Amino acid sequence: MVTLDVRPQLLEALSALRDRVSAARFPLPLEGASRARANRDELLAQLDDYLVPRLREPEAPLLVVVGGSTGAGKSTLVNSLVGRRVSEAGVLRPTTRTPVLVCHPEDHHWFSDVRVLPGLTRAWVPRQDAGAGLTGDELLTSEDDPARVLRVETVETVPPGLALLDAPDIDSLIADNRALAAELICAADIWVMVTTAARYADAVPWHLLRTAKEYDATLVTVLDRVPHQVVSEVSKQYGALLTKAGLGDVPRFTVPELPESAWGGGLLPATAVAPLRAWLVHHAQDPAARQYAMARTAHGLLDSLKVRMPELAGAAAAQYSAALRLTSVVDAAYDGESARVRGRLDAGAVLAGDALKRWRAYPLDCTAGELLDALVESLAALLLCAVTAADERIDDAWRREPAAGGPGLADRDPSAESAEHRIGLAVRRWRRELEEYADDEVRELERNAAPDPEVVAALAATGLLGGRRGRSAGEGLAERIGAHGALRLRDRAGRLLADYLDRVMHAERERRLAPLDALEVHPDPQAELIAALSVLLKER
Amino acid sequence: MTAVTDQNQKEHTAHTEGMVQRDGRDSTDGQRAPDDRGVGEIPESRTVQEAGTGRGRGSDPEYGGVSGAGGTARSVTIPEHDRAPRPEGAGRRRALEEAGVADASDLAAGRSSRVVSGQGTRLEDDGIARTGHTRALVRPDDRHAPADRLNRPVRRQDDDRPARRQDDDRQQRRQDDDRQQRRPDENRHARVRDDDNHARVHDGDGHARMTDGSHARGHEGDHHAPEHQGDHHARVQDGDARGRTESEDVWDDGLIARRVTETGTSAADLVPVDPRPARTMPVPPLAYDGPLRSRLDALRELVGLSRTRLDSRTLAEAGRVLDEAAARRRLSGQHTVVAIAGATGSGKSQLFNALAGVAISETGVRRPTTAAPIACSWSDGAASLIDRLGIPGRLRRRPVQGSDADPQMRGLVLVDLPDHDSAAVQHREHVDRILGLVDAVIWVVDPEKYADAVLHERYLRPMAGHAEIMFVVLNQIDRLPGEAADQVLDDLRRLLDEDGIALGEYGEPGATVLALSALTGDGVGELRESLGQFVAERGAAARRISADVDAAATGLRPVYATRGQAGLSEEAREEFAARLADAVGAVAAGEAAERAWLRNAGRACGTPWLRLWRWCQDRREPPTGRLPVRTQPDEEATARQRVEQAVRTVADRASAGLPVPWAQAVREAAVRGAQGLPEALDDLAARAGLPPGRPPRPGWWPAAVLAQASMTILQVVGGLWLVGQIVGVMAPNLGVPVLLMLAGIGGGPLVEWSCRIAARGPARRYGQDAERRLREAAAGCGRARVLDPLAAELLRYREVREQYARVTGAGGR
Repeated sequence: MVTLDVRPQLLEALSALRDRVSAARFPLPLEGASRARANRDELLAQLDDYLVPRLREPEAPLLVVVGGSTGAGKSTLVNSLVGRRVSEAGVLRPTTRTPVLVCHPEDHHWFSDVRVLPGLTRAWVPRQDAGAGLTGDELLTSEDDPARVLRVETVETVPPGLALLDAPDIDSLIADNRALAAELICAADIWVMVTTAARYADAVPWHLLRTAKEYDATLVTVLDRVPHQVVSEVSKQYGALLTKAGLGDVPRFTVPELPESAWGGGLLPATAVAPLRAWLVHHAQDPAARQYAMARTAHGLLDSLKVRMPELAGAAAAQYSAALRLTSVVDAAYDGESARVRGRLDAGAVLAGDALKRWRAYPLDCTAGELLDALVESLAALLLCAVTAADERIDDAWRREPAAGGPGLADRDPSAESAEHRIGLAVRRWRRELEEYADDEVRELERNAAPDPEVVAALAATGLLGGRRGRSAGEGLAERIGAHGALRLRDRAGRLLADYLDRVMHAERERRLAPLDALEVHPDPQAELIAALSVLLKER
Repeated sequence: MTAVTDQNQKEHTAHTEGMVQRDGRDSTDGQRAPDDRGVGEIPESRTVQEAGTGRGRGSDPEYGGVSGAGGTARSVTIPEHDRAPRPEGAGRRRALEEAGVADASDLAAGRSSRVVSGQGTRLEDDGIARTGHTRALVRPDDRHAPADRLNRPVRRQDDDRPARRQDDDRQQRRQDDDRQQRRPDENRHARVRDDDNHARVHDGDGHARMTDGSHARGHEGDHHAPEHQGDHHARVQDGDARGRTESEDVWDDGLIARRVTETGTSAADLVPVDPRPARTMPVPPLAYDGPLRSRLDALRELVGLSRTRLDSRTLAEAGRVLDEAAARRRLSGQHTVVAIAGATGSGKSQLFNALAGVAISETGVRRPTTAAPIACSWSDGAASLIDRLGIPGRLRRRPVQGSDADPQMRGLVLVDLPDHDSAAVQHREHVDRILGLVDAVIWVVDPEKYADAVLHERYLRPMAGHAEIMFVVLNQIDRLPGEAADQVLDDLRRLLDEDGIALGEYGEPGATVLALSALTGDGVGELRESLGQFVAERGAAARRISADVDAAATGLRPVYATRGQAGLSEEAREEFAARLADAVGAVAAGEAAERAWLRNAGRACGTPWLRLWRWCQDRREPPTGRLPVRTQPDEEATARQRVEQAVRTVADRASAGLPVPWAQAVREAAVRGAQGLPEALDDLAARAGLPPGRPPRPGWWPAAVLAQASMTILQVVGGLWLVGQIVGVMAPNLGVPVLLMLAGIGGGPLVEWSCRIAARGPARRYGQDAERRLREAAAGCGRARVLDPLAAELLRYREVREQYARVTGAGGR
């Protein structure tokens, strides 16, 4: 016999775990990420809606959630169980769009606040209101989001200590309904799965049944709307299927299809649902049975954490590793391009094309200023080329990464122009600093025939950027400001150049990584999830 | 359940009830009737005892209605006609036809000759035919024929099986024949050659008696030519049928047991159709109309053109559509394959049975009920179509038609599918596979399940484009009280509308939505009617293919459609050229050339004194940088990074807006072209850098030089004169020599200055000329290596796009 033994430490560990779960994010569109997101939401819903409130207040009424496919007759069943039309039944599918919770008036306070199902707005309909459905609808229309409303009904015929919740269909065409149904079912102490003679082999309800088995929830199945000619045969079939699925011990109730139950009709006679009602009343009122039902679901859920938390942690790890892969692609691309740029610089690639022509014409047909302009432009072109090449490599590599479809990653605006702008800015700043250095050198000379600083700067730049071809520039520079000065100037300019180079590449890389960083995919959640789980398991 | 048909043979007075089995071929017979007329037929009646009880499901009702497997004894009374030789003409025609097309031809020709029989018999036929004898096969005791049939199913199912399972001795004698014939059979060509004069004789009315009688008697369509003398009436009891009687036709030519039915008389048959007999088109194949054909051609071409660019996964769907279109095209155009699909428990099988008029498909409360698809063909010749669905012979049926024999359903092949939503996964696989092959679909929904997500999201929404070949049927309205049925139907219409399915109301093309109750028969007539009309139009297959093409085109849209204009704009080309010019340094080169020319001009026209001074200066300090660079030819004169960037930019421009694979291809083409481009530009810069020969000199140049010289002479003359005066050689006259000298001194720079002014124009021209040469050479190089491949790639894309437009647009949808 399982019992519910609630200690404060357990609750503490549980709420810590809940925080961890709610902090987990799976932003990258990996395979399995959407599933992980759904799992996380479901787990969170179960913790918030069910486990935490249940452990805090074990004396709260049992919540029985009636779930099933569309048209299975859930609403009719609930209405029949309480003996009043509380939930609208009808022939048009899906019928129930707003979940309805029915409880005894004395229990109303348990459900009027946000103790359970905190995500749903309450719409309470006073008991005296006969046209409950209508009023409910009117209330709903005033709400912003009708899907997130829980209608609470109080009916005296419901035994105290028991609340029935009529959930929307689990396979609804309306996706919100489906999500809501799943969430509601997660909040249940007792799951009542309703299926029909026409549906008992449907795949969707079976998924749910299997889930219930996995969570070891207290489960009841109702085979509804069975034409009485075939009651025994269908019931036997269904039983066989359940047994085959390992659910043979699940209490099974059969409700025949009666004219009253048909389509939009009223209530089933009490006798039709009597066994189910008796079962429910028994569990609500007999302390042992009640305790058993409650504890079984709660423990089942706690046990399921052992599987589900590692799953979440695994998904978090997958996210992180995907992010790492993306980052490493960017890093590799930029590192490669940086190395290439350095190699090109050493080879004197800047002194080519326009710059080379200028240099050849210098000094007869070209001024120092023009030469310097050409060099700077050529340097900017080299850097821009490196950056765009890196981007291209990244694009190529990311195209093969599913994770690269993440928000903000895929739709990178083609900011080549702005990259050009940024690089031009950096290069011009380098030129200014170089000219300042040249000024310094020239001023130190204190000679009468001091050379023009611009010439010095141009020669220094040529020597620095021209590789082998610029060697003669170095010689000219040494002639003008002395070998020592020339060496010093060259060193300083070289360091400055390397500095600017790194800065440019780094800045571009950061820009590239910014959207990925914004997603905040860290390794921590994985460890934290596992840690929270282990604490919880220890406290149990 | 068995179906019993009574048939009246018009020509024969005798009423016999018989079961006739036919194979695919036979089916054509109805149309061929006229030929047979002339043939004398000798009725023969036989009783065939067949062993084999199990007509149950194990047995294949399709095969000639004789289930071999079970081995129930049946007695068959077969009136056989002896066949008299056929008129030769007919025979020959037949022969020709058959030789050409194999069996199919008969139908096509509209010949009446019926070839009915199981294979075995047919084969025999052949044998006989070849011998050229006309014989009448009369087998009084004929058990063979049925036995044959019995075997047939087995054989057909697996051709390899050498021995027929269930043969009794009677059969033995035929076996040889059969075997030998089997081979031809397998390759399905000309199976039957009865050349010449064998007339086929049908046996008169074979009336088969069916024991079961549970179901309607099928009548044969009256449209069948009444002239057939031999009719086979087949009653087949299918499903669990226990005993059957068969009537067989025996043809003169020795073909026994060709099952033919229905000439003018109605053969009601719930006859299992022979699944695999010579399938060579007994029926005229489907013909697509012009637009569809051209769309298919376009799609084929599209796939061909794209194969190297797109991965096979992307093209898989289009390829499948093409394959299916081709496969469907080869098959009968007279038939429309309609699948009944729906959720478990919606009453698919019940509807199927209601349409067929007999309980062919098992119904029940056990879910899921139907595990494998069952086909039912209303007229013959559909066997190959059903083959294509992969429905085995034992799951093929023929309807029992009620007294209101419906010619309207002629050409219908109905397929009952398993459910798509039960926990049994293989059912869904069946459904998914067959839905891709049928010509039309009847979706059966019920009031309980009509809003199931799985139906709408998994099937109806993706198939929204197939609305025209879709019937949506709300079954089980008997379970709904009063006007609730209308409400539900309206709600269903709303949901379908939300799924994007066009509803065929007010004469617009679209899905037909009906409410009915298969149980009570309410509304079934309506469905039957619209189904009949639908089938009679014979357009479903083409429309289905067309919708498939639409769907494939939509699926391919992302890889073909462009945002905006694809192509290389003039600006992009110019920008590319400009970037290349930058890379080779055209501007700098031009400027340098201009300045050098100007410098030279200045030097040439400058005062000698200035030249002298410059010369001295030059000697004193050599110019930096100039000499070493000039001397060595440069290996990398072109700025690699600029070339790379230029190529990348132009590729980006060219691929802007293209779908990813094509953009990738364009980029690759650019990169490929760019290989070696810098080296080529290096070469070119060395060659085309400067205009060849000496820089041009303007015409006024000598005059300027002369003027400059004369100025110098003036100076010299003035100076000499002054010196002469000072020395005293000359008479003192200060004025003139000073003036002369001043003029010379002032005039020299003046001439130099004006020369420089005058030289500016030619210098600029010279520089521009140099720049332009370099620029053009670079641009030409770039065009040849990069732009042309790019343009070719773009052209290829544009071609593909045109094909795509043909695929989507030309259909007129």
